Amino acid sequence: MVLIALAFAVFASALPGFTTPFSLFAIGRQIGIDTMIGLAMMAVIVTGGLDLSVGAIGVSAAMVFGWLCERLGLPLAVSIPGALLFGALLGAINGYTVVRSGVHSFIITLASMSIFFGVMIFLTKAEAFRGLPPEVAGLGRLKLGGKVSALLAVSLAACVALSVFYRFTTLGRRMLAAGANPRAAEISGVRTGRMIIACHALTGALAALAGLMVTARTGAAVPSMAGQLGQDWLLPAFLAPVLGGTLLSGGRVAVFGTLLGAAFVNVITSGLLQLRVGEFWIQACLGLILLAAVLADRGRHTILRRRGLV
Amino acid sequence: MTAALEVLHASKSFPGVKALDDVSLTLQPGSIHALLGENGAGKSTLIKIVTGLHRPDAGEVRLNGQAVGFANPRQAVAAGIGAVHQERNLVTRFSIGENIMLERLGAHALSPIDYGQIHAEAAKWLALLDLYIDPRRPVSSLSVAQMQLVEIGKALALQTRVLLLDEPTASLTPNESQVLFGILRRLRDDGVAIVFVSHKLEEVFDLCDTVTVLRDGRNACSGVPLKDLDRQAVVKMMIGRDERIAKRAPRPRAETAPYLELKNVATSAGHRDISFSVRPGEIIGLYGLVGAGRSELAKAILGQIRRTGGEIRVAGKPAAIASPADALHKYGIGYVSEDRKQEGLILLHSVLGNAGITVWRRLSNALGFLRDRTIIDHTAPVLRQLEVKTPSVYQTIGNLSGGNQQKVSVAKWIAAGVKLLIIDEPTVGIDIKTKAYLHDLIHDLAEQGTAILLITSDMPEMVDVADHILVMSGFAIKGEVENDRNYERVSQAIMGFIHDNASTGAAA
Repeated sequence: MVLIALAFAVFASALPGFTTPFSLFAIGRQIGIDTMIGLAMMAVIVTGGLDLSVGAIGVSAAMVFGWLCERLGLPLAVSIPGALLFGALLGAINGYTVVRSGVHSFIITLASMSIFFGVMIFLTKAEAFRGLPPEVAGLGRLKLGGKVSALLAVSLAACVALSVFYRFTTLGRRMLAAGANPRAAEISGVRTGRMIIACHALTGALAALAGLMVTARTGAAVPSMAGQLGQDWLLPAFLAPVLGGTLLSGGRVAVFGTLLGAAFVNVITSGLLQLRVGEFWIQACLGLILLAAVLADRGRHTILRRRGLV
Repeated sequence: MTAALEVLHASKSFPGVKALDDVSLTLQPGSIHALLGENGAGKSTLIKIVTGLHRPDAGEVRLNGQAVGFANPRQAVAAGIGAVHQERNLVTRFSIGENIMLERLGAHALSPIDYGQIHAEAAKWLALLDLYIDPRRPVSSLSVAQMQLVEIGKALALQTRVLLLDEPTASLTPNESQVLFGILRRLRDDGVAIVFVSHKLEEVFDLCDTVTVLRDGRNACSGVPLKDLDRQAVVKMMIGRDERIAKRAPRPRAETAPYLELKNVATSAGHRDISFSVRPGEIIGLYGLVGAGRSELAKAILGQIRRTGGEIRVAGKPAAIASPADALHKYGIGYVSEDRKQEGLILLHSVLGNAGITVWRRLSNALGFLRDRTIIDHTAPVLRQLEVKTPSVYQTIGNLSGGNQQKVSVAKWIAAGVKLLIIDEPTVGIDIKTKAYLHDLIHDLAEQGTAILLITSDMPEMVDVADHILVMSGFAIKGEVENDRNYERVSQAIMGFIHDNASTGAAA
């Protein structure tokens, strides 16, 4: 929090253009999208695993959304839930494969990333859906109270919902229990396998939502919107939750921390961009931040171990 | 005679606690020294200072009369101080020989290893321990007791003159322990100074020459000859008051219909022809050596190990238990694991998160929502009843003492109101006070009508708590003993059943 304020203050004073309404709106919108991508990854980090296919799932779901709206002419009220369900289904396939095979999710989702993306490119012939209803692009441009991006509001709402979910529902608590210590949770009557599948499905649904948000920003569902194989999402996906304080070994989440993590990254990125620092330097800088965050996670882990918690 | 090792007036503080306060320990060569104290008394900290893991804030360590300051464990090892910790420190995929010689496999990192010589050398150490097995075998093929001996061999191979053993008998049977004691006595006669840490006072009196007792980080006594003390005096030094001896009267066998009944059960783990029943209000003890298949049987009842034959009946009806979730929610069966840290508790989560995990499903509303308040209302009475000491229910459970953790791992099943509770080694590594408390608790639960299956290798515990004892060996039930609380008679009857056919298995 302090870091964000500090970074913000530095850039605001150094750059006259940084605090213009347009700049703030753009940063807020990107924070919204990155938060959602981060939440998607967080939902699976809960199990102590990860999902490299978030980008591929996000894009695939966005393309399904485009297909439902544009080709089938279904209303948004049907095609949005349809796309989210599709994302959840792809996530569940990941989860099922992980549970049944017992192989680490890294390998499984590395494979499914290529499969999902490849099939998507084959089916869409790599062509975008550009004739979406105007409401979609409208949402991307919408400013609540004249300043704040509607997409940021969507992510805020998702944060609130997930906080409630992990704290006040049986399913959420079970997911955390299964992630923190699968053997103990299993013996205590939690069906650990199902929980891991559910976590992956939740990741899929959130990734799909992130895909729809990117679609809203662009105004079209474009196969390349997350880069080759959806890889462009990976850095924000890990940066936000890890910076936010979610334990990589599983069992503990920081929902609003993920929002703060995404905010921090975006303030730094857009600040550096406006300082006309080269794109490559920004990538390197983000890589360094991720490394620092992972080391901080190790540090947290060591502290937990010293206290005898792991 | 110069002391082999002296710790003089050592103090050590960690953030928030003073773990050791002016503690002294003197070891004579050729003597076995007991180090006693309840959990948290500072035994581990003291051992870590001697083995170079911690540096004392004040005081000094002397080896053969000379002050030493170990910066790391390697220096302690080089100086001839070896330790066998509670946890196994062997590379299970390596051979026995490689493990014993791990520190000296070759002259430097890239020099070729002469396996013939390594295994010949290792065989020498094994012979010293009466362990006549091929040093080429992988460690993973050994029994727990054999691994323990290999660890001692590993320590001895490093020219150890001071050997520290932390609860070496925790996973051994009485017989295996006796073999170990014979070896320790021989090492003592060769002039090794041995430190023996144990919660089992019977063993201490049997084996040790002198004793140091720690209580709350201070010396309750230091280097007193054990022949000058009796059990009462030692316990009093450990807990600061007299031990309460409550010998329970034998209880009449319940006449009610069995809650759990196993008929000719066979499992994929190798059990065959297992038949017994547990009635409400009855404590059935399941005694056996480590590896007899007791925990595996518990897991088979819970549905984690596949049943390949026979029948399990719960409350008179055939039961198909596919998972622990089934066992809990459909049949009211709970399991307190012997492995508290891995299977019993989620150490990362709060007391509340652990105590409530079994009742989430029942307490949540139709949409799956539930509030902390609801769980607290349900679990707090049990936590209070069990006198779990925690600053708040939101405290992370890993920060509690072992005894309090164990109470919570029992409490969650009481909160769930299970009809049958399987309790696996409930008091391993638990201090005397909490141990007595847990025994009372098991008793009270039975009095209230819970059927209890108690698994333990602690013979006094078995005789003190169980009503009726089943003896298990080699994944089959070898016999039954009615418990009349006559320790001599009951323990001999049990060992009789085990020795009928177990002489082949227990090589160590």
